[in-house]
Amino acid sequence: MKAMSLAPASWLPLLVLAGALAWTPARATDVACGAPVEAMEAAPMAGVFAALSHTDLRILVVGSASTQGGGTSGRAATWPERLQSVLAERVAPVTVAVEVFGRRGTTASDHARILAEQAPRLRPHLIIWQLGTVEAARGLPVEEMAETVQEAVARLHAVRGERTDVVLMDPQFSRFLRGNADVDSYRDWLRIAAAASGAQLFSRWAIMRHWVETDRLDLERAPTAQRVAVADRLHDCLAQAMAEFIMSGAQRGRLPRN
Amino acid sequence: MKSPSVAAGPSTRDIRVDFLRGLALWFIFITHTPGNLLAHATLRNVALCDATEVFVLLAGYAAGIAYGRMLERDGWLTAAARIVGRMGTLYVAHIFLFVVFAAQVGFSAAALNQAAYLDELHLDPFGQEPYRALLEALLLRYQPHFLDILPLYIVVLGLFALALPLIRRPAWLLGMSVALYALTRALGIGLPSWTGGGWFFNPFAWQLLFAIGVVLGRADPAMLARRLPWNRGLAVLAGLLLLAIALALNLVWHGPVLGTYAPEWMAAAIATVDKAGLHPARLASVLLLGWLVAHLIPRDAAWLSHPLPAVFVMMGQQGLAVFCAGIFLSFLGRLALEMAYGPAAQALVNLVGLLALIGVAVVSAWYGGEGKRARKPSLPAAPGTVTP
Repeated sequence: MKAMSLAPASWLPLLVLAGALAWTPARATDVACGAPVEAMEAAPMAGVFAALSHTDLRILVVGSASTQGGGTSGRAATWPERLQSVLAERVAPVTVAVEVFGRRGTTASDHARILAEQAPRLRPHLIIWQLGTVEAARGLPVEEMAETVQEAVARLHAVRGERTDVVLMDPQFSRFLRGNADVDSYRDWLRIAAAASGAQLFSRWAIMRHWVETDRLDLERAPTAQRVAVADRLHDCLAQAMAEFIMSGAQRGRLPRN
Repeated sequence: MKSPSVAAGPSTRDIRVDFLRGLALWFIFITHTPGNLLAHATLRNVALCDATEVFVLLAGYAAGIAYGRMLERDGWLTAAARIVGRMGTLYVAHIFLFVVFAAQVGFSAAALNQAAYLDELHLDPFGQEPYRALLEALLLRYQPHFLDILPLYIVVLGLFALALPLIRRPAWLLGMSVALYALTRALGIGLPSWTGGGWFFNPFAWQLLFAIGVVLGRADPAMLARRLPWNRGLAVLAGLLLLAIALALNLVWHGPVLGTYAPEWMAAAIATVDKAGLHPARLASVLLLGWLVAHLIPRDAAWLSHPLPAVFVMMGQQGLAVFCAGIFLSFLGRLALEMAYGPAAQALVNLVGLLALIGVAVVSAWYGGEGKRARKPSLPAAPGTVTP
């Protein structure tokens, strides 16, 4: 680390090497539209594991615009609805219920209020919390967002204990957002908040960036006539990737973290 | 920089400071170009602090030398007036960069199909109320991302103009600075922003780093070496501490993808380190790095005069011009990375960016830079390259 600032001539090649390494394509399969495998590997999810040995799996989704429409052909095509169908097929005969509490333009503190109201009522096994886009677009304080998440997850754990798993979902990849807002800071802090509160992070950003860079799915460059179709496909692929993530966490079941 | 009363000539100039400043300016260009892969190799990936801390500390260092000398020669009023003039220059530069930023956002919005699925972006304040946004930008109450360092610098310089006479009493200066810092952190004092949540960088907290820079810049190097001597054991400890922090940061950020999870207490500790109010850990991190670097790089290190480091030295000496050019260039880099990705685009953006920064430094040094143009002809030319 120190060496970096000591002899620039010697670390310049290292930078080039680091750049080359960062460019190595992520491992990908044809599962979930070719999403990178490492982005779909989760830590053990005790809540989901327990639910799957009973009769139903209850999932609560909270977030902003993408949970409500996000340019798709309709409610049924959004990723939370698609997730329900994809998961239901995989875990039958266990039934899957997804409840969505999303609204355009809502922030982490709005979501925390919704969670405090709804989680005791619905007793979900899994909470998927999509956030970060509104905060980044508006430039809201990033540390406050992380604090809100940590407090909300701590409250959930106090009430629900191991019976509820929490997964944070970061913003959608967008060149526009990346170029005009400090998205990386918000993503970094989401990672820190997840790690500090025992939640997990599902990186929609990394997955979608991979799709863009491998020319699979690029909504920002889709011709106008195909926008809705591409958005539908995107949400379906995201739902598949999320289903993979959840199944990987459930299969690891009760194994201790760390 | 000898003792305060002796005017320092070019030969006593500490080019290590210029070199590090040049490096920080390059890092600022890189990290202001989102999507740039080199951003993974900057200070923020391995330390709690980043190029912003280095920039502010060294800005204080240069200001301490330049305005301290002016204070002794021309008195408080003249020196303070010069600082206010500098604030004006920075303000105009900031507004210019704001206009460039707005144009770049407009261009990107037209070029990319962002409205289709990121309809949250309509919440961006400039898009909703452009006229109000313009007014708020002029009042420095609206600072889009990547345009938050210059407003910080302007306010910190204003505080410095007020505190200038205290420069002769470093203990008083530091004491008052620490008191303001502590008060700011304890009471949550700050400047309001239009979008809510206050300024991204709280100037009342960050002024401490600048003040430390001022005191270091004014101090006699021999006295500094006596007060902060080299201690091998302490240096090893410091190195291990910095290494541990680097490992912890990277474990929290990148561990989950590799299947390793940082303990919750570790991430919780990192989560308390805020940037807006310059958390003490960030402050300690940059000062510790500074102490190590000051002792590990000899003042007369021969490699500093080799062509590549010398380029960074020159960039550091033309600080303000290079900083503004860097922010401007980062907008262009962003557009380029929006249109193309892949190793070729990355290499091109970074190569052209660095060469342009060097070009700006060369031109600025050639025609004399800010400092020289405004100086009365009767004054000695020695501090001409100091651009606080």
